[in-house]
Parts: sequence; structure tokens; C-alpha cells
Amino acid sequence: MRRILALALAAVLLLGLLTGCAAAPAAAPAAPAPTEAAKAAEPTPVTLKWALWDKDLTVYYQPLIDAYVAKNPHVTIEMVDLGSADYMTMLSTQLSGGADLDVLCIKDIPGYANLVKQGHLEPLKGFASANSIDTSVYGGTVEQITIDGEYYALPFRSDFWLIYYNKDLFDAAGVAYPTNDMTLDQYDALARQLTKGSGAKKVYGAHYHTWRSAVQLFGILDGKNTIVNGTYDFLKPYYERVLKEQKDGIVQDYATLKTSSTHYSGVFFNNQTAMLNMGSWFIATQINKIKSGESLAKNWGLVKYPHPDGVPAGTTLGTITSAAVNKKSVNKEAALDFMNFICGADGAAVIAKTGTIPAVVNDEVIAAITAVDGFPADDNSKAALYTAQKYLEMPIHEKSAEIEVVLNECHDAIMTNNVTVDKGIQDMNTRVQEILNRK
Amino acid sequence: MNKEKKGLRSSRMMIYLMMILLAAMTVVPFIWMLSSSLKLSKDVFTFPMQWVPEEPRFQNYSDIWTRIPLGKFIFNTAKLSVIVTLLQFFTSSFAAYAFAKLRFKGRNFLFMAYIATIAVPWQAYMVPQFIMMRQFGLNNSHMSIICLQAFSAFGVFLMRQFYQSIPDELCEAARIDGLSEFGIWLRIMLPNSKPAISTLVIFTFVNTWNDFLGPMIYLTKTELKTIQIGLRMFITQYSSEYGLIMAASVVALIPVLVIFLSLQKYFIQGVASSGIKG
Amino acid sequence: MMVPNSVVFEPKPRRKKRLSKNVRDAIVAYSFIAPNLIGFAVFTLVPLIFALVLSFLKWDGANPMEFVGLANFSRLLTDKTFHRALCNTILYTAGVVPFTMVCALGLAIMLNQKVLGRNLSRTISFFPYVASLVAVAAVWNFLFSPTKGPINLMLNALTGIPIEELPRWAADKNWAMFTVILFSVWKNMGYYMVIYLAGLQGVNQELYEAASLDGANSWQKFWNVTLPQLAPTTFFVSMILIINSFKVYDVFITMFAGGDNQLSDTTRVLVYQIYNTAFRALDFGYASAMAMVLFLLVLGITIIQFRSEKKFVA
Repeated sequence: MRRILALALAAVLLLGLLTGCAAAPAAAPAAPAPTEAAKAAEPTPVTLKWALWDKDLTVYYQPLIDAYVAKNPHVTIEMVDLGSADYMTMLSTQLSGGADLDVLCIKDIPGYANLVKQGHLEPLKGFASANSIDTSVYGGTVEQITIDGEYYALPFRSDFWLIYYNKDLFDAAGVAYPTNDMTLDQYDALARQLTKGSGAKKVYGAHYHTWRSAVQLFGILDGKNTIVNGTYDFLKPYYERVLKEQKDGIVQDYATLKTSSTHYSGVFFNNQTAMLNMGSWFIATQINKIKSGESLAKNWGLVKYPHPDGVPAGTTLGTITSAAVNKKSVNKEAALDFMNFICGADGAAVIAKTGTIPAVVNDEVIAAITAVDGFPADDNSKAALYTAQKYLEMPIHEKSAEIEVVLNECHDAIMTNNVTVDKGIQDMNTRVQEILNRK
Repeated sequence: MNKEKKGLRSSRMMIYLMMILLAAMTVVPFIWMLSSSLKLSKDVFTFPMQWVPEEPRFQNYSDIWTRIPLGKFIFNTAKLSVIVTLLQFFTSSFAAYAFAKLRFKGRNFLFMAYIATIAVPWQAYMVPQFIMMRQFGLNNSHMSIICLQAFSAFGVFLMRQFYQSIPDELCEAARIDGLSEFGIWLRIMLPNSKPAISTLVIFTFVNTWNDFLGPMIYLTKTELKTIQIGLRMFITQYSSEYGLIMAASVVALIPVLVIFLSLQKYFIQGVASSGIKG
Repeated sequence: MMVPNSVVFEPKPRRKKRLSKNVRDAIVAYSFIAPNLIGFAVFTLVPLIFALVLSFLKWDGANPMEFVGLANFSRLLTDKTFHRALCNTILYTAGVVPFTMVCALGLAIMLNQKVLGRNLSRTISFFPYVASLVAVAAVWNFLFSPTKGPINLMLNALTGIPIEELPRWAADKNWAMFTVILFSVWKNMGYYMVIYLAGLQGVNQELYEAASLDGANSWQKFWNVTLPQLAPTTFFVSMILIINSFKVYDVFITMFAGGDNQLSDTTRVLVYQIYNTAFRALDFGYASAMAMVLFLLVLGITIIQFRSEKKFVA
């Protein structure tokens, strides 16, 4: 009798579980709203799902949506935040699982190459020519993300690297401000002049964040080498320079920065470095943090990225953030239209107003950014926003994701003095070759 | 006699010394956490460290509720943790009873299969599982996390180990008295395994509470997200708000500690104190 | 304990009846297991088996799969990065498992005594386990920061060794593994202490009394009474510790990886390698093959442990 009770109880539990699980699918498919059939001449309501990261802390998402919806009231746009840390992996997982995302932000090139390989992205060439979209406004970046003659994303944000400097620290040291045609040697000399003090009050001349790009990519500014061609001997002088600066106490020690999770913004905000090489994304942050009182570096300026001898001033590293459309989107037409909006001139105007640099750069856009309250008033800072040549931090390559892993690892090993520069570069060569040779 | 007392006293001293050392090792980082939670993010990692912030910034503790929907996240996490813990407790203590005290064909094989699967890292089958869950229509629902977490083999393993230390004679005696297997589980096993139950409850609760990757993949809607995702929202692409992370971590710590404190007395109140011996 | 008690208590039944009793027993047993088993089978076992099948395939997560036989496995034999990851994982496991067990058992025995403030101490030692990993890893890294961290400043003051010659902890390839082991032990010992505490409550007090009568000292009591009585707990703790150590991932990522989620040669662990292979290189088949190796490794250890459990726990 009691055993029957036990059985019954187990059965009830089981049933409960099964129905619990079975009930859910019935409810879920009701959610994704419009279908193909609903598309008529008269605009029927459409809900687009837009995959992105840092939803609450990125200033331009909502303005973009507001501007678009104002013109297209039948469209609702829902943001899906996949987090910033492993965004491209999350996106790939979601798409492989068949998630109903429509518009996709693309965070980096290796991740983009992977999505293309997996066939998740809608090819855009046909769409672009049908809608007479001129890709030359993107300054050659579309060509750099073209794979086998086809491209699958359009950039909407195009950041590039420049030098942020702290005018108060220059004044205190009695050193003239840097100029827009600074060479790498001048940059090094300047950093040495500006290093002052010791202990907690020490001011460093320059600062390299722990990213590979902050050091390695000086090497590609001459356009002779790329970061995916499999030999890295050209990086040697640049590593030696930065390691020497590190040893001489001109810049903070990489190992300390990395283990203490020191963020470059804190270093700049606290007047601990006279110069910082960083991407243009930091402009908006710096302006906002001065307003909130967190940044003590109130008197600051911008100049172009330092360049090796023989390379024109204004040559710098670029990193693009682009938008794409899910190949399996059921609202493809609407998704393409929205993507076109954020990547086009209208979207660029909206983005520029937030102090962020859009992919379409023209005089109006630059004027909008420099007009942002808090942007440095001197002419050099304004001129610094014009670039001569931008090389992508990571060019498109079928195996860029794997190559990047190796380069990051070796960078880490060299910068922490765990291997010599020669050994580190040799490791890069052999391991990247191995990846390139594998079918 | 005297000598023994002396020995006892010195061993007591040793214990207290160790306890102080332990406290230093575990408490110091948390004091730092607390002090960082009252700083601006830029000052969190400055050397030399400031144990007491010059201008304590209590605003961090109000900011965390407005910058992200932390209240909602805490509610979601609490809801998930409670449901998962209850399910986990019932299903695994049932199964563990069979594995520990009943004899049936395939017992050892099945048990081995259970344990072996604990060994496979989740990352290896994450994608197939995600695809499957989507087909059930479970993604973007709390049900997905519940199904994922509630039937772990770990719980079965843990309970089985503890049930094994309960003497078989107890069960036999109960069987002779005419108790059903379910009755034995309810009247003998449960009351005698309070320490194990509290261990399992704490483990499951903490794990669900601190789980990150699961909710990250399955819950993409903001209103469904959990506290660990919320914490990482302060680490953005271009900046990390460590002051806020620390403040939110301190807040997130409290519910788990409450659970721990309320279960604490059961660790020392198992077989020994319920009057059943050997 | 391993004596089938049912035989002792029941009069010898006729063959046919006995069979049906076996069946009945099995039904009862399986009905106890079913609620867990079904959920477990559907949500874990099925995808897991699929993942294992994947190890014989080539798949990028989206395009059609392709059967490649044992190619993934033969590639493992020559993959130096994988070997490195395997060695690192084994090293980590070898460090963490015994270290954690000793600390946890020590703590449990200490805090099982009737001493002042033990409840507080228990709670305190549980702190690291419940705190979110992001926060405590940041704290830990900060404390152990090479040139300016409080730990090295203190070591410098105590020993007089100049800071430059002190270990650079997480930043030093020779110390990185040690640092992360230390961190893991610190973070998890509170939990295993709780398991041991629970186990200690099951120790038969009469055995201690008997041992006292025999004139045993505390050490002998510990060795001859406590430890054997704790055998099932120890078995469990070691099993879970080994498995968790083999599966370690989060700790390494949060300790070493910084923003880009990348690990270096000396800190690369198996699951990281699996994750990278699957999601960065989009080679799900190869990643599954690695997972398979991990699985077999742990399975082997489990079987050995089980054999010895039968020997010692009975």
C-alpha cells in the first residue's frame, strides 16, 4: 500500500515536470509577432530585435531608435543586450540556436569572419546596389571587410586611435604641447621629459593599456606589413621601445596593470599620465566624466597618433563597429532598412551628436562632434579628428579569430618579461604559420 | 589531570590562533571590497591602498539600483534559486535513497553514468543543449534555467554519500515494522540527514545565485536577467565601474549569507543529536 | 554494510516469487530515481551524447556536419597547445585537490570543537565561497599585485627581500599556477568545510568513548576513528574536487584574462581550450574530441576511486 503511495508520488512529480515543460512551448511561439503574411502595402506594425551590447551604458542606441521610429512609426525596435565581454560568441550561439534576432551589431572582425563562415549574415552587395548606397563614404573600410567579393555588414561607427594629453601636466613640466605631426621618436622623447615624481604622486609620461593593439600596431602604420601575414619580425623595434620605456619607469608596468585590472581611464582621470594612446571612443567618456566630477584631468587635448618616420601624419589604427542583418530574419526588409538608417548619413548625424565618431565622416559630422560641450577648444584637437589613412586593428582573414588568440598570448608573454622579444616573436611566427598552414 | 588540562589549554590557544589567522585571511579581502564599494571607480585600484576612503561615496549604493534594474535582477535570481533548490532537493534525495539503500538491477551502472556526466564540461555541450531548448521553446524563460539546474547529478551524488553513512539496520528495522520505502525515506532518512540537506541546499542555492553563463545564454530579455549578469553590466566595452561592482557584490552577498546563517545550526545537528546511534 | 540484508531477514522464498520481488524492488527503486533521471536525461544526457557524437564530425555550429572518423583524435596527438592545456590542468588538479581537502578537514575539525566564536568563524570562512567571482578575483589580484600590492609590501617588510626579487604572483609565469591554486583553495575551502562538518556529525560518538577507554590520544583517535568514519565524505569531496578541478575555467578567466578573455601558455586550461576551439575557431568537432578526453580521464579516475571506496568505506 505504502509503496503504491511512493509510486504515485513519483508519478505526480514526474507529470508535473512534464506538463511544466510542455506548457512553456505553447506560450513561447506566440511572442515573435509579425510574419511574412502580414506585410501589405499599408505599413503593418513590425518589431525588430536588435542584438547589441552595453545597452544601458551606450549613449547612442536610444537616440538612433528614436530618430528612426519618428520616421517609421509602424516599427518597434527591441534591444537585446548580449553583454560586452563575449559578445560575438554569444551572438554566434544565439544565431546557431535559431534565435529570432533581426539586426545585429558586429563588435569585431574575427567574430564577423566567423559569422560569415557560419552563413548567418545576409549578403549586402545586392541590397546596396539596389538602393544605390555609396560605400565609398566609409573611407575604404567596406573593402577591408569584403570576403570573396561580398560584404555582409556596413559600419556605423568608426573609431581610430589618437593621443589624449593632459595640458596641466605639460604646463607643470614646462613642456610644449604635442602637435599633430608628432613622430614616434618625438613621442618617446616627450614621454621621458614628462615623467616626474615618485610613489603615489608619480606622473608617467605615457600610458599603454594592456591591449595588444596599444603596442603591436605601431608596426603596421607603414603599410608594409599586416598583422595576419604570419611573420612578425617587424614588431621587434616597437616591443623593444615600449619595454625600455617600461624599464625606465616612463610608463606603468604591464604586469601590474594587468593583474590589478587597472583601467586606462582611471590613470588618465587621476592625472597619473601626461599622454595616453587610446581610441576615439574615449572622447565621449572623458567629456562625461569631467562633467560628473570623476575625471580630474579637466584641461586636456587631442593630437593625431604618433607615426614612424616616413609615414604621413594622421596615419592611424581604425576599428569599426558595424551592423548586419540575420539571414534568417523574418522581417528582413524592415531590418535592412533600419540597418541602412544607422549606417547612413542620418544615423551618422545622430551618433555624432553624442560625441561618438560615426562611420560616415564629413565636415558636418566633425563639426557636430567638436561642437559637443566639453570637447577641447584648441584647433589642434579639432584637426586631430581628420585622419589620413586608417588600418584596421584586425584585418579580415578567414582565420583571424585563431590568429588573434596567438598574438594576444605572445603579447602578454613579452610584455610581462616572461619571454624575450625574440622568443616571443618567434612563437608568433611558428604558431601563426601553423594556423595558416592547417586546412 | 593537571597536565591534561594544560595540554587542553594549549590546544585551545592553538585553535584560537588559527581562527584569528583564518579570519584575517578571509575578512581582509572583504573589508577591501566594502571600502572599494564606497569609492569612485577610478580610485579603486590606486596605490597605496586606502582602507578608509577619504570621501566615502554612499551614492554608489543608490546608483546601483538606478543604473541597472538591480531590484528586478535580485528578484529573478531569488525566484530561480528557490525553485531550483527545492526541485533539486526533492529529486536528488529521492534518487539518492534508491542508489544508497535499495538493491536493483543496473544500480551501479546507472550511478556511474551519473557521475561520469558530471565530468563533461558544460561548454562542450552548451550549443546542442541550447538548440534543443529552443526547440522546446524554453529559451528566454526562467523555465530553461530551472530545467538546466534542477536535475544535476551532483545532488544525487552528494545525498547518496550521506545516506550511505546511515546504518542499513535502521532501514531494515523500519521495514520489519512495516514502513514502506517512501515512509523510510520520509521518517528515517530525511530527519537523519539534516546536515546533508543543508549542504545541498546551500550548494544549489549559491550555485544558482552565482551562475553566469547559463542565464547569459538563455535569458536575453532584460526583465528576465539575473544578478550576475547585472554585475557584469558594469564592465562595459570601454570602462569598468569597479566601485559599483563592489557595491552590488556586497548587496548580492547578503541573501546568501542569510541562507547560510539560517541553516548553520543543522550542520551540527544530524545523526548525533537526533538520538539515533549506530 | 555490503552484506545484502534482505537475505538475512527473509525466509527463503520460492524461485518464482523471488523474481517478482526483484521486479517489484526495481520498480520501487526506479520510481525513486525517475523524477531526477528523466529531467537529467532530457536536459543533460541527450545534448551530451550529441556532443560526444560530434567528436567524430566536423562542424562549425551552423553548416552541415561532415563525418571525419578519428581525424579529430589523431590531431589531438600532435597538438602542442592541447598538451600544454592538459598538463596545466593536471598540475592545477594535483595542487588544488589535496590542499583543499587538508584545509577543509582541518577547518571542519577545528570548528567542530566547542570553542568561542565558532559560529562566527564558520560564517567567515564561508564568505569567499558565496561571494561573486568577479569581485573577489579583483580583490585578490589587487592584493597580490607585484610591485605595489600589500602582500608583497608586507613580505618585503617581514623578510627584507627587495620587492623586485619577490614573486610576481599572477604576472609571473612560474608563480601564476601557484597563485591561482592558492586562490581556489581560499575560495572553496569554506564549502568543503561545510561538507566535512556535516560528515563529522555522523561519526559515532561511542567509538570515541571506546577509544578513550583504550587510552588512545587525540591523534590516534583522529587517525583510527574520525578518518575511517569520514571515508564516504572524503570520497565525495575528493571526487567532486577532482572533477571540478578538471573542469576549471571561470577562475582562470577572471584571474588572468583581463578584458579579452585570453589565457597564456602557462595558464591555459582544458576547458578554455575547448571553449576557444569551439567558439573562436568554430571547430565544434575538435572541441568535442577534447571534451571526450577529459571525460575519459575523469571516468578512469572515478572507476579507480569507486574500487577503492568499496574497499575502504565498507
